[in-house]
Formats: sequence, structure tokens, C-alpha cells
Amino acid sequence: MAVAQSQLTRQRRRAALAFILPMMAVLAAVAGWPLLRTIYFSFTDANLDNIGSYSGVGFANFASLAQDPEWWHAVRNTVEFAAVSVTFETILGLVIALTLNAHLPGRGVVRAAVLIPWAIPTVVSAQMWNWMYNDLYGVLNYIFLKVGVIDHPYAWTGSPKLALVAVIIVDVWKTTPFMALLILAALQLLPAEIYEAAKLDGIPAPKVFWKVTLPLIKPALMVAVIFRTLDALRIFDLPYVLTGNSRETASMAVYARQKLIDFQDVGYGSAASTFLFVVIAVFTVVYITAGRVRFESR
Amino acid sequence: MKARKIIGSTLFYLLVTAIVVYTIFPFYWAIVSSLKEGSALYKVDFLPPKPEWGNYTAIFKEQPFGKNILNSLVVAVSVVVISLALSVTASYALGRINFRGRTPLLLIVLSVSMFPQVAVLSGMFELVSWLGIYDRLWSLSLSYMILTLPFTTWVLTTFMRELPKELEEAALVDGAKPLTIITKVFLPLLGPAMATTGLLAFIAAWNEFMFAITFTLSNERRTVPVAIALISGASRFELPWGRVMAASVIVTVPLVILVLIFQRRIVSGLTAGAVKG
Amino acid sequence: MAEVVLKKVGKAFGDIIVIRDVDLDIAHGDFVVFVGPSGCGKSTLLRLIAGLEDITSGELFIDGAKVNDALPSQRGIAMVFQSYALYPHMTVYENLAFGLKLAKTDKEAIDKRVREAARILQIDHLLDRKPRALSGGQRQRVAIGRAITREPKVFLFDEPLSNLDAALRVQTRLEIARLKDQLGATMIYVTHDQVEAMTLADRIVVLNQGRVEQVGSPLELYTRPRNVFVAGFIGSPKMNLLKGAVDSVAPESMTVRLPGGTKVTVPLAKDAQNLQPGTEVTLGVRPEDVGMATNGMAKITGRVLVVERLGSESYLYVRTEGDQTVVVRRGPGATAKADEPITLGLPGSASHVFGPDGLALSRAVPAAA
Repeated sequence: MAVAQSQLTRQRRRAALAFILPMMAVLAAVAGWPLLRTIYFSFTDANLDNIGSYSGVGFANFASLAQDPEWWHAVRNTVEFAAVSVTFETILGLVIALTLNAHLPGRGVVRAAVLIPWAIPTVVSAQMWNWMYNDLYGVLNYIFLKVGVIDHPYAWTGSPKLALVAVIIVDVWKTTPFMALLILAALQLLPAEIYEAAKLDGIPAPKVFWKVTLPLIKPALMVAVIFRTLDALRIFDLPYVLTGNSRETASMAVYARQKLIDFQDVGYGSAASTFLFVVIAVFTVVYITAGRVRFESR
Repeated sequence: MKARKIIGSTLFYLLVTAIVVYTIFPFYWAIVSSLKEGSALYKVDFLPPKPEWGNYTAIFKEQPFGKNILNSLVVAVSVVVISLALSVTASYALGRINFRGRTPLLLIVLSVSMFPQVAVLSGMFELVSWLGIYDRLWSLSLSYMILTLPFTTWVLTTFMRELPKELEEAALVDGAKPLTIITKVFLPLLGPAMATTGLLAFIAAWNEFMFAITFTLSNERRTVPVAIALISGASRFELPWGRVMAASVIVTVPLVILVLIFQRRIVSGLTAGAVKG
Repeated sequence: MAEVVLKKVGKAFGDIIVIRDVDLDIAHGDFVVFVGPSGCGKSTLLRLIAGLEDITSGELFIDGAKVNDALPSQRGIAMVFQSYALYPHMTVYENLAFGLKLAKTDKEAIDKRVREAARILQIDHLLDRKPRALSGGQRQRVAIGRAITREPKVFLFDEPLSNLDAALRVQTRLEIARLKDQLGATMIYVTHDQVEAMTLADRIVVLNQGRVEQVGSPLELYTRPRNVFVAGFIGSPKMNLLKGAVDSVAPESMTVRLPGGTKVTVPLAKDAQNLQPGTEVTLGVRPEDVGMATNGMAKITGRVLVVERLGSESYLYVRTEGDQTVVVRRGPGATAKADEPITLGLPGSASHVFGPDGLALSRAVPAAA
């Protein structure tokens, strides 16, 4: 049965259009258009100093990309980085969240302290750690040498084997607070009665954690993990400031930008960017579908 | 039994101490390092032998750090103001008006916040050159919208949804048109929400690096993150780290203070954006 | 003041039909109460009249004009919400004046109307306060005041007393009754509390699952319920509804046989029914009409289950030999005890009979003990 819309409904719908248009227009201009352009450029041989003149090259850029060992090295770096960082951030975040959730004095101090790495701009964190990582005068080598963990100064950001580890350590330091807060929010939504019942039943704490807490926060945890993984896959600032364009730590974004801006190869750089975008898009679909259950239930 | 409790408590407080040291030490070390000049940097002293402020004056004299801070401020404030203005009305529509295509639109907004920045870089570069705003702050005010707009829209939509329906209906009965409802009824209630959202968007804009380093060329146009990444020492032979740390401290201390003051709001704003979404 | 007319009004949310075919005529100055259990559609019906929901089918007229399409503010209505919905950032004065300001009324007229409304509701001393500085009862009055300043044709109340505690509820009920007399306005009032309905209404509309079950004055609904639903809804405690069967029929009465053997003869209107003996019917008797066995009453025996003593009266819950539960009202000094056998009398003259379709079989004379 077709329902005639009342004046009220029509008025509101017209208003909705007017209210949303400006925002969407800006979004189209700032995100939609540049994205389409980038994808378009992937199929050309455009160059940065004369970006206006180019010709189509079909899939040539993608073909070269597929055969480029440096590209695949960057892909591997990014995936390794994402996997290790997110794992550590989740575990440490869980530990911190559980600590914050325990109603013991000192909680406020911990929460404040934990927010500091998050508050510090990424570039600043990178430089702070860069200085701590300094092979000759850095404080990390000093402490580790003194304590006896290492026997000679390590070149944290210089050595091919250690560089990625160094980047991961900084990312974990910086982002664990965020994970901790997300997990804490999920923990605080759990009804207290469950724990009281468990206490009455005399279930030991570790078992309560594994069999009760963990399963209950799993959905929120999954969403947080996917969200963080998405962020980790597109990382740029940290590796760039710590180690520049170095092969050993270049993420896909670093590689793409290098080709784009430093090598001025817009076509090739755009192809790499597009590839990264597709990877992220697939993951985003996973994220949105995973979170959609919650979303639609409103 | 009591021994167990004592051990348990001690372990707990050891854990707490470990966490606090782990999170704060790098910041502490930055402050200490910033107070060391010249050769003092070559030694590792956990407390500065004699606090020296030379680094702090140097970054303002040797490079236009003051201008850098101003640039960051101008860009961040303009971006936040524009984003909030665009988002307020959009979030009302997205949060409270039922229309066809609402869900897809919300998903589009959400997905834009997932874009890798580099994916729009070449397109944005072309746009910036075409508009003639390369090496101008406008290039940043424009490009940063891709970061802040989806965020402010999404978070404000969540806040808008939570406002009571009966309040809106009372206004309708009183004869309020949609825009009036937003400005005269809802906006006064959204003060804290706007402040939190604005603050988080400000922090995101303030921290941005990739667009800043790509679209600015001259020292005078640089924003703070770029400046800190590129600070050089007093001479070729001097470590720049004292200066870098001084710059870092200057930039970080206000942010840390802001974050500590607005702790609760920030936590709820962040989780509203992520967990609920 | 105006009349409100609904012609075959229906409302559906997608496939779910929430209001069916409602026909209603509300006269000038009428105080009509929509009452019914949760989910019956009474609030939805009110919101359809207000214009806060679209009418799916049928027509709505206010003061002679068809208003299906009109904006809420154009219908000449004012609404008092369950949660009061006062604008939290505005003072009481500004709350009362808001609608008038939007209508671009001039300052003097606004002031006059606001102060008049404040005077009627005795909130003049609160005009400068914000809602959070007011008590629940005061906020209530501001909400009503806001409606008054609009000088509407129809006042709409959506469960206004639900959020108040018991004592305040009674007091506010009296104030609303006083207002009703003072303003003489057309008022439509929604509540789930049938005591409120009975005490305030000129006429009551009983709703159930989106349908109008019966419209009538409180007394009419009490003495002449049209069907089993209304019979069980109006009156507290509920009317005893006992399942039985037709035993025999006579031109102006019917005898109903209950399980256990009791037969009750109920006087009915001439040819009010043509049911065959054996047909299942429902016999309705109010707890206050059930008596102790005396001559002329049908006797029913059973055992007392529970005695509830309220101080002013007592209620006996009796399990009959036919395995049905009957509630009886007694005075405060009732001596009955649990588990005691007891014999009750069911007065035919005060009983109702409902056919297998739930509809009441009409009586010539209203039920009276």
C-alpha cells in the first residue's frame, strides 16, 4: 500500500538533503576525486614535474609492480609489522586494561600515564625513540650494556635485522594505550553479577579470565584488532621518520610515496597506492561486516 | 593466606610501576635531554647535570619554530572549525532523519576514514597544484579534511542519536523547523560533545605528517611535525638531538596537559567512535 | 475549542498494522481518555492526532478541517509529554514562550500569555529557573503550562503522571481535574491506569491491539462492558470471568451452568440471544458483587486459597469445586481463613454473560447487585 508522505516527512527529507550535501560535497572533492585520480594515474605514465601530460600504459605499472622485489619486500615488511605490532598491542593492552579495571588505588595514575604515549604526536614519538636508539649515545644501549643484556652497542635503526624490530617497538609503545582503552571500555560493560557468581562458586581468577571474561569481550576485541590492523597496514609516519625510505623497514605507503614524490614516477607510485588501497578496502569490508551486527541493532 | 595476598599486592604494584615507567620514560628522557647542551649530550646522565635552556632558545632563533607552531595552529583550528560546521547539520540528518540511502551514506563516511593517505596523494597533489596552493597552508587545510570530516561526522552522529526524541517532538509541536531544532534545541546541548570532538580532530590535524611534508617546501610554511622531523644541529658536527628534544617538549607538554585534563571526555569520545561503531 | 473526528484511521509500520479502522467522534470540551494495556496503540493514536506520525489510512479532522497532511504546529494542538520534554538550557519563562517566539508573536502578547499560564498553574515564582532546578511535580506543571500558552484547540496528554510517585500522582490528578473545569478545553489523555481513566474522563476509549473495544462514559463501561476484554480491563480488582455453558434459555433470561454444578440465571434483554444449550459462554461477576449465600442467589462452594487484608477491605481468593478461582470483596473484619471451606452467592441480577465470541449479551436493565 503506497503511503502518502505527510508534510512533516517531506519537510524533514528535504532538510536532510540540504544538511548533508555540503559535507558530502567536500568529502567528494577531498577524498572521492583524488582517489579516482590516483587509480586513473595507475594506468598512465604520468610524471610529477608535469603532471598534466601523460599517456595510458594499460596494466604495465601493475605488471612491473608484481615483479618488483623491493615492492614485495615492502609488502612483507608491512604485513610482518602489522602482525607483530597488533599481537603485542593486544596482549599488553589487555594486561593494562585488566590492571585499570581492578578497583585498586593508583588506578588514576596508571590511566593518566597510559594516555601520554597516545597524546604525543607520532613524529615526536619517533624522534624521542630515535634518540634513545642512537647507537653511540642513546640511552637504550647504555642501559642494556650496563645490565648485561647485550655485549656491544646495537645499531637499532641502522642494522637491517633490527630496524623493523625497532619500528615495531615504538608502535607498540605508542598504540598500546589505545587498545587498552578500547578493551577497558568493553570490560566495563560486563555485568558485575557474573564475577560475583564466579566468586561464590569459588572459581580461581585465571580460570575466570579464560572462561568468562575473554569469551565475553571477544566481539569487541575482534573489532579493535581489525581496526588496529587496518591502521597498521597503512602506516607511514613512523617508519619514515625513524628510518627514512630504507628497504628494511619501508611500508607499502612509504614505498608508494617514495616512487611518487622522490622518484616522481606518478604512474608507478599510483599503482602501488592503488594496490594498498585495495588491500585496505578488503579489510574494511571485513571490519564493517564484523561490526555491522552491532550497528544494525540500533 | 595473608602471605598470598601480600605477594599478590606486591606483584600488582610491581606491574603498575612497570607500566608507568614503560609509558613515561621516553617522555622523561626527552625532557632531560632537552636540558643538556653540546657535549653534555654525549654522556648518559639520568638527571641533567646543569639544566641549560640553550636548546629552547636555539630552535626559535636558528629556525622559525615559532612560525611552525603558528602554522600548525592556523591549519588545525581552521580544519576543526570547518569540519564541525559541516558535520553538525549532516550528523543531525544522519542520526535522526529516516531517509533512503542513510545507511550506505554512513558507511561511505566511515570507509573514507579508512583510506590510506597515500592512496589520495597523487590525486591530491594534482589538485593542489591546479589550485595553485602548493607550499601554502591552504593545501593542508584542504587535504586534512579527509582526516577530520569523517571523524567529526561519525562521532557527532552518535551524539545526535542519543538526544531524547521527545525533546525534538516538543519542538516540532512548538512549530520548529529542522534548522531551528538544530540551532535552538540541540546545539546548546551538544557543547561538551562538540568540544570533545573538536579536541580529538584538533589532535589528529596537529599530528598529521605525510601531507604536511609533501605539500610544503619552505621552512616558513612547515608545520610542527615536519619541523621536528627535519631539525638540524647548530653545526655539522653537533648532534641535533638536544634541539629536537626541546622542540618535542614544547609541542608535547601542552598536548599532554590538555589530554590529562580532558581524560574522561577523550576516552568516551574515542570509544564512542570505535567500540560502538 | 474544537471537535476531533477520526474516520477509519489506520497506521502501519511497514507490514505491521498497529492501528486498525478507528472511528471516533470527540466533541467540543470533551475530556476523552485513551486507555488500554501496553502495546494497544493508545500512544500511537495520540501521536497520529498530534501529527508526530503519518496516518497510513483514513482521515483525521480537527475543527472541521482535514489535517492528515498538516504539520503538528498547524493542527492547533499542544502536547504534554510523558517525560515533560522541557528544554533543559532554557528558563521556565523561555520554555513557555518558545512556541510563541517561533510563531513570531509580539513580545507583549507573549509576556501576557506566559504569565497567565504561570498564574493558572501557580508557577509564577519559578519563571527564572531552569528545569534542572525544579522538582518532578513542578516540571510537570511547566510542561502543562507550555501547552496552555499555545492556546490550542485540543490538548494532548501522553501518560503525564507515569513518572511521578504515587502521592504526587494523586495530587496532580486532582490538579488536572481542576484544570479541566477551569479551561473547559477539549482534552485527549492517554494512560494505562484505569483508575486515572475512570476518575478524569468524560468518556473513555478502551483500546486493544490497535482496535477500539468500546467508547463510553466511565459508568457505562463499568456497568455495560461490551465484551470480555473491557469487562476484565475496567474495574479493580478484575471482574471474575468464569467459563461455563448455556444450561437453558428463556425469553428474558438465560441460565448458565458452571463447572461444579452451580447454575446462575441472568436476566437478558428480550431476544437478546439465540444460543443453544451447551454453547460455551463466560459469566462475569465483579468481586464486589459476589455475596455470601443468601436466598435467591446461586450458591457456589469452594475453599479459601488466600485472604488479602488491605485495612479498608479484604479480598478472598476462592477455589471453587469446579476448579475455578473467584475473587470476593469483603469488609475489613472478614473472619475467613485460608483453607477453610466457604459458600458464596452469585447474584444473577449483577452478572454479565458473554457469548462464545466474547461479546456481551445485552441486558434490558444494567447489572446491579
